[in-house]
Amino acid sequence: MSEILENLLKNPRIWRGQARAGSSGWQGLASGYPKLDQHLPGGGWPQHALTEILLDHYGTGELQLLMPALARLSQPQVDREDGKEAGWIAWIAPPFEPYPPALKQWGVNLSRVLIVRPRGGKEALWAAEQALISGNCAAVLLWSNELDDSASRRLQLAAEAGQCWAIAFRSLKALSQSSAAALRVRLDTGEQGGTDLGILKSRGGRPAVVRDYAG
Amino acid sequence: MGTSRKPPARSREAAPTPSVKSRQRERHPTSLQLALTEVPPAAPSLQSVIPLRQLWLCVYLPALPLEALIDAPEPAAVFEEQQGVRKILLANAQARAAGVGPGLAVNAALALLPALHLAERNPVREAQVLRSLAAWANKFTSFVCIEAPSLLLLEIAGSLTLFGGIKALRRRIVRGLDSQGFDAGVAIAPTPLAATWLARAGRRVCIRDPRNLVGRLGPLPIICLGWPVSVYTSLKGMGVTSVGEALRLPRQGFAKRFGANRLLDLDRALGRLPDPRVSYRAPERFTADYELNEEESDAKLLLNACRELLVQLECFLLSRQMAVQHIEFSFFHLQIPASSLSLGCVKPGRAVQHWLDLLDIKFDRLELPAPVIAIQLCAGQGQQFSAETDVLRFNREDGRRQSTSIAQLAERLSARIGDELVHGVTVVADHRPQYAWQPRSNFEDIPHCANVPSCQVDSHAPELLAEIHRTNGLVLQRPLWVLPEPEPLLADSGVPYFQGPLKLLEGPERLETGWWDDDGIARDYFVAVNPVGVHLWIYRNRNQDRGGWYVHGKFG
Repeated sequence: MSEILENLLKNPRIWRGQARAGSSGWQGLASGYPKLDQHLPGGGWPQHALTEILLDHYGTGELQLLMPALARLSQPQVDREDGKEAGWIAWIAPPFEPYPPALKQWGVNLSRVLIVRPRGGKEALWAAEQALISGNCAAVLLWSNELDDSASRRLQLAAEAGQCWAIAFRSLKALSQSSAAALRVRLDTGEQGGTDLGILKSRGGRPAVVRDYAG
Repeated sequence: MGTSRKPPARSREAAPTPSVKSRQRERHPTSLQLALTEVPPAAPSLQSVIPLRQLWLCVYLPALPLEALIDAPEPAAVFEEQQGVRKILLANAQARAAGVGPGLAVNAALALLPALHLAERNPVREAQVLRSLAAWANKFTSFVCIEAPSLLLLEIAGSLTLFGGIKALRRRIVRGLDSQGFDAGVAIAPTPLAATWLARAGRRVCIRDPRNLVGRLGPLPIICLGWPVSVYTSLKGMGVTSVGEALRLPRQGFAKRFGANRLLDLDRALGRLPDPRVSYRAPERFTADYELNEEESDAKLLLNACRELLVQLECFLLSRQMAVQHIEFSFFHLQIPASSLSLGCVKPGRAVQHWLDLLDIKFDRLELPAPVIAIQLCAGQGQQFSAETDVLRFNREDGRRQSTSIAQLAERLSARIGDELVHGVTVVADHRPQYAWQPRSNFEDIPHCANVPSCQVDSHAPELLAEIHRTNGLVLQRPLWVLPEPEPLLADSGVPYFQGPLKLLEGPERLETGWWDDDGIARDYFVAVNPVGVHLWIYRNRNQDRGGWYVHGKFG
């Protein structure tokens, strides 16, 4: 019986929640919001994996959520634990113009920002994959309506291969679709005006709701 | 080198014994010396030849008209039209075996050998081949000059040490020519003309000492000097058939009869007068063609042809320490104008693989209207190639895969998406929000400005922002999203609407600037929130004519 189970667990399509949970797993990328970090396995964003952020309205703090982590990734820091150089941050198919003065206010190193505006959804996915596997980017932000299960799997693999943090913004309609992302969160406006963050899927963690994550 | 021993054996043995040598030197120039007294200004000093430190290797390509056109094992010949009759100029060995030789009329040749492959002589193509050979010869010496129609002169004195001596160098050149399918006569002498004459005469000699020139050139027939036929026939009428006999003629009479230039030729060949030459400079821009045997539409085959052109380009650039930023492929069709495909990269490059990667991406999307018959590659202006020092990377377990640089990534992306759609950003010191930034297309890694205080940005941004907010909102927060163009908002009794009535949270921040150009603004900016929690950056125009509310950004 146990042998059958062992064989079954060797199947790469099966991952076990406990296997990577807590400190035994990986070091997360601190989000800069202590309230949120408590609920994320490894104490932060999954570094070399795909994160999906589902939301209905742009302008509800979806970028602020990432800014402290992106700012740190883009800065050259000798004392960073992993000893890596400053990485590039690629913005693929953003819905509006990312505003450089604001990025600078948040501490993002502007000389490491790459903006790509592909003409179609397929090109956006291609560009994201290229950026992920190139090994130059520390983070790749993608806005796409054509991200399906197989595309998310490709992005997840590319993120692992290029050791890069992939972030995909999707509409809440994608809630029912399956996804290979290591972390799926949804953003909603809370009652007090802050933004609530719901963790839908978290590899090595548990679903949770973080009320007013910035507060 | 065996042949070189025969005629000059005497002089070579003579060299060590001064008495014989002096006798020999006296014998030839005496008559000229007599002439010297009669023509004082034109005559160079004959007692001492100019000390020459040059050594010229002459490559003579007698079969160039044939070799430039035909590269096939079957019997072949090149013809030329002479006085309305098409006559064979040159034939290859197979054709000669069948009795086809120079001077034969084309019709007669075809009667002898119906399968004869014929081509009309093409001097343009010959010049082209000669130029490409000169470019090739540039790897042996920096000084190569082209002597049309079928000669190359290489100054090799400076290359001897590098290539391991005169014999080794000569062997390399001869073998190189042979492997490219050229039948060449090669001779080496201290003056360019002497080398030319010897090579034309088919003497595979190597003369290093200028004092041996007189003895070695003496037996050469006049015809290999390349003088006009009239000079040759009149010299022959006088019983003069060799260079030695011509040298014995009185200088003044010789100059009068055959022109001073002929006399100067002789002096230059013997090293009595300097003979400056102009070195061939290969063009600094690369162009190459690839002709396909038949019309082709197979992408794989075309890509292979492109690769060959790129290999040539790399060789060209490598030998010049250069790199290019733009290249253009032209695909020629039989009936319609050529279609072109241009490639550009962020940093000047030359590696074949690099260009091939870009070509692959673009070739996918290229729609050729017709099959291709020829491909041409033109490279843009060459630039100085700056090799990069790269860190020796050991196989670090956690090492980021750094196989490509950001410039390469940007190239790949812009090759498929478009140049202007892939960019970086930078801020500009302007209060007007729309002018406060601009795209940046240069992806050169900007050196970390960690040491420059103004560049240092505190990475603890939330704290920084909190600090800013505490200090009475001196700088208002900027939104992370801006709209390409501000959009007007509907307003109901002074309250702006965006999917519901907006509530103003912060502001106003008054921006009134830019009056000096036509794009001045006078706006009061606010941070507002709508019922679904979207934070907007809105403003009210203070100009009466364009009054009202606008949304300019979103706090993403």
